[in-house]
Amino acid sequence: MSVHQAPASSRVWPDSAGSLLRRFLLTPEAPALVFLVALVTFFEISTGRFLTPDNVEGVLAQVAVLGIVALGVNQVVLSGEIDISVGSMLGLCCVAAGYVATASGGIVLPLLAAVAMGAVAGGINGVLVAWGRVPAIIVTLGGLYGLRGLILIWTGGTWITGVPRESRVLGVGSTFGILNPVLVLLLLLVVMTVVNRHTGWGRNVFAVGGNRKAARLAGLPINRTRFLTFLLVGLFVGIAATVFLGRAGTVQSNTGAGLELQVVASVVIGGTSIAGGRGSSLAAVTGAVLIGVILNGMILMRVPGIWQNVVLGGLILLAVSTDSLRRRILGGRS
Amino acid sequence: MIGTFDIRRLKVPQPTRERVLLLVLIGMIIVFSIFSPAFLSLANVLNTSRFFVEVGLIALGMTLIIITGGIDLSVGAAVGFVTIVVGFSYAAGVPMPLAILLGIIAGVALGGFNSFFITVMNLHPLVVTLGTLALFRGLALVISDADAVSDFPPWFDYFGQYYLGPVPGQLFVFIAAVVGVWLILSRTSFGRYVYAIGNNEEAARFSGVPIRRVKVALYSGIGLLVGIAALIYMSRVSTARADSGIGLELDVIAAVVLGGASIYGGSGTITGTVLGVLIIAALRNGLVLAGVSGTWYPFLLGTLLIGATFINEFFRKREE
Repeated sequence: MSVHQAPASSRVWPDSAGSLLRRFLLTPEAPALVFLVALVTFFEISTGRFLTPDNVEGVLAQVAVLGIVALGVNQVVLSGEIDISVGSMLGLCCVAAGYVATASGGIVLPLLAAVAMGAVAGGINGVLVAWGRVPAIIVTLGGLYGLRGLILIWTGGTWITGVPRESRVLGVGSTFGILNPVLVLLLLLVVMTVVNRHTGWGRNVFAVGGNRKAARLAGLPINRTRFLTFLLVGLFVGIAATVFLGRAGTVQSNTGAGLELQVVASVVIGGTSIAGGRGSSLAAVTGAVLIGVILNGMILMRVPGIWQNVVLGGLILLAVSTDSLRRRILGGRS
Repeated sequence: MIGTFDIRRLKVPQPTRERVLLLVLIGMIIVFSIFSPAFLSLANVLNTSRFFVEVGLIALGMTLIIITGGIDLSVGAAVGFVTIVVGFSYAAGVPMPLAILLGIIAGVALGGFNSFFITVMNLHPLVVTLGTLALFRGLALVISDADAVSDFPPWFDYFGQYYLGPVPGQLFVFIAAVVGVWLILSRTSFGRYVYAIGNNEEAARFSGVPIRRVKVALYSGIGLLVGIAALIYMSRVSTARADSGIGLELDVIAAVVLGGASIYGGSGTITGTVLGVLIIAALRNGLVLAGVSGTWYPFLLGTLLIGATFINEFFRKREE
């Protein structure tokens, strides 16, 4: 048996291992970042106006909702589980925020409503997975349809319109010269990066996902760690829903449909291993930006929108296959 | 010891899972019959069977996959893809029998595609079939250009609209498939392999079980069932559209889990799955007849899926 260092984080490399470049190339998000730079260069050369500040900010604002949700789901995947209920959860949180916004106005109450709704939905997922012994795929597959059903029952299929301007500040407008959705995304990225490196729970997530048996033997609170990842998804979906509501201004009964595929694609393309234990918050956001650039690029290249699912599905398969090969070559867990 | 009086043999029937499910089904039938007298009429019962055959056929294959500890989320998308292959190759001038053959081949090929990633790339079926769910549905949309085909030759109606007396024709297909899959699972070494993989894949490998071949057969096999179900569906609604079978995976997995198959692998029966399919069919039909709005169905089915799995694993945990 080979001797493994305790994976306190995903980046335990001896300093003598090599240069800064080598260290960068060994990070989970490196391939996605390189690919992103190449793709952006390609679009810049072929269109000549991709790298303008306005366009870059526009793309980032477009992927803000996806990125925020991906940051949450990233923790779930790191802990070795999966969450495919986020599309419907986002819709449900939007409905909650939408009703509160049209009734009371303001930003605080709609945000609280959306986050509370997300916390309840994510919390239920977490309890069922951690203590109910129901596999995450069943819980969140049931949630995907169950929560969508709840939206239909609640709204009766009608749209929510007339959301007042002040309730939309997270989606429109800017602060310190940065668009608000981008600001929210960057803020949460920083928060999650710090959490993952410097808090007990953040490190436990990696340990539980990397080797659950070892984590149990080490006395880590496995169930609480997993519960909190699902709860966090709910909280982040609530925030993302408020951003979404701000950008769209209306809520339909199919709001958020299909988001779960883009989110899973973002996380695995960014470089977080679907087997758990390896990845980073930057990886999730890189993946989301990459998806955003690809979908945006498809529009620029006049590819019909019906190709979107083909591209998403292909990217998911490509990313997880690459990850599988990487693990096999490095002789890690199968 | 022949002739010895054994008190244990006189025990009342144990509440096995199948018996409990049967009681649930009977209970549902009674409740729905009170709400709507039409529920128990022979016409309604037989008519309902037209709708559950597609779910039932795929659930048979899904039972075996879930017993091995796997899952296939792509079946709904695969149904859409197969209907597009059949419909659009026919519209392009391919004779219908050949188009049907192409559809069946496409179904098996999609399953084989899944099994390549699962066995050769050694990936978890969950993430593979999540990816192919998007891929298959997307390809169906691209091939059809979001259009539909509906002018089929009259004889194609036999697949989904034929009645033998009052009995819908596809019911016979389902019964034949139930018997066939039941025989495979309980009377062949292949069936034993399926349970062995689900109980302990590592142990099965060391015992010489051809794990890869079994998995390829299982995922291609569900592709075959998907192909047949897609033909029946297409004939029943007389249309080939890319969104055929959307959300079907939920019905199928719910039926299998309700039937007692453990999502962790190792246990499950065809009898249980058939009862699960019947309960879901009764639920859907009963809700409609009782006048409950159709918007309740996804919510109830999602809850049912989670609830059934929870009860399964809760009792299994206690047994351990």
